[in-house]
Amino acid sequence: MARMVNDDSSNGPGTTVGVNVALSGTLKDQNDIAVFGMVEGEVISEKSISIGQSAQVKGPVHGKVVTVSGTVRGSIKADEKLEVLETGKVFGSIIAKDLIVHSGAILVGKCDMPTEEEAPVEDKEADVEGEPEEVEDLLKPEVEEL
Amino acid sequence: MYYYILESPDSRGVRQTYQRLRDILTNLGIAGEMVASSPARTPEELAAMGLEKSYSTIVAVGGDHFINQIARSVVGRAVLGIVPINASRQVTDLIGATSIRDAAESLRQRRLTQTSIAVAEPDVVIFLDAVIEVPKLAKASLVVDGKMRAFAYFNRLIITRGLEIKLESSHSVEQKKIFGLFGTGGKVIKSESFFHGRSVRVVTDPELPLMVAGEPIAKTPLQFKLIPDALKVITRRGTLT
Repeated sequence: MARMVNDDSSNGPGTTVGVNVALSGTLKDQNDIAVFGMVEGEVISEKSISIGQSAQVKGPVHGKVVTVSGTVRGSIKADEKLEVLETGKVFGSIIAKDLIVHSGAILVGKCDMPTEEEAPVEDKEADVEGEPEEVEDLLKPEVEEL
Repeated sequence: MYYYILESPDSRGVRQTYQRLRDILTNLGIAGEMVASSPARTPEELAAMGLEKSYSTIVAVGGDHFINQIARSVVGRAVLGIVPINASRQVTDLIGATSIRDAAESLRQRRLTQTSIAVAEPDVVIFLDAVIEVPKLAKASLVVDGKMRAFAYFNRLIITRGLEIKLESSHSVEQKKIFGLFGTGGKVIKSESFFHGRSVRVVTDPELPLMVAGEPIAKTPLQFKLIPDALKVITRRGTLT
């Protein structure tokens, strides 16, 4: 009698964008995402997102735990924790329950830290998405390098 | 009853291994029909003959390339059994057996594992890892699930049966010269990327061959799609949970 075991491929090892990669579009993964290259578009994970020191992300980032040691030009929403390390640069609004900003990090934008009693309001995200336009204009030369 | 397809033996040692395998299978009570490939009978032809004879399990006995050929022939039509002989770790890890005795024991226990496969359209099945390898950096463009486009430089691009794509690159940055004589400051930059999806288009510049176990099976540009749970493979009891 044969017994069946299901090899569930959805529990993959996640996505890694290496230094030599430039990516555009929506980067979405159920598992961890690590970015060391350039991304233009959304970065979404149900688990953790790590923006490495060499990474440049232009677009919103949404994950459970987000760690930034590179550059993010766009909003960041961390359902649990956001950590901006000393080499990290964030140009955009952030929403995080738990926030750690290390000395030397750059953070330009609004910061919301919803408490248990006050859940994040939906339109906050709309504010965030509207804001980076000015920043985008300033940064066009760098983006074109992509 | 199992239908065993043996890779054409290339040495006396392999012939002796086949004889030992026969003895083990007989002792375990799972000796079925055995056929050996030859220049006159390719593995694909033998697999087709086994399927025509209504065998529900085809066992590939041999190395990586041979196993991949048999796997491509039985997808969706029969269960695949594997007895690795001079096979890579990829194969032994998959079935959870490194020796012919362990592999034969797995066949007796007949624990099935459903595994996904990737297909390079129109009909090139990828069971074992497929590789595009170049000594100098080449350019690749990937479109994953129609939503994401990636441009990358790579030395090695690996595609697995689960349609996971791994890009590896290594390049050195120029050394600074002192008085035009002594080199200093040069370093090697390594990069690894990993993507997965249900459909992936791979375009390379220049066009490059896709290899499995050292044999070319297709050439870029390629469109891959994932077929979940397409192949049933006999694995060792407790290998996968």
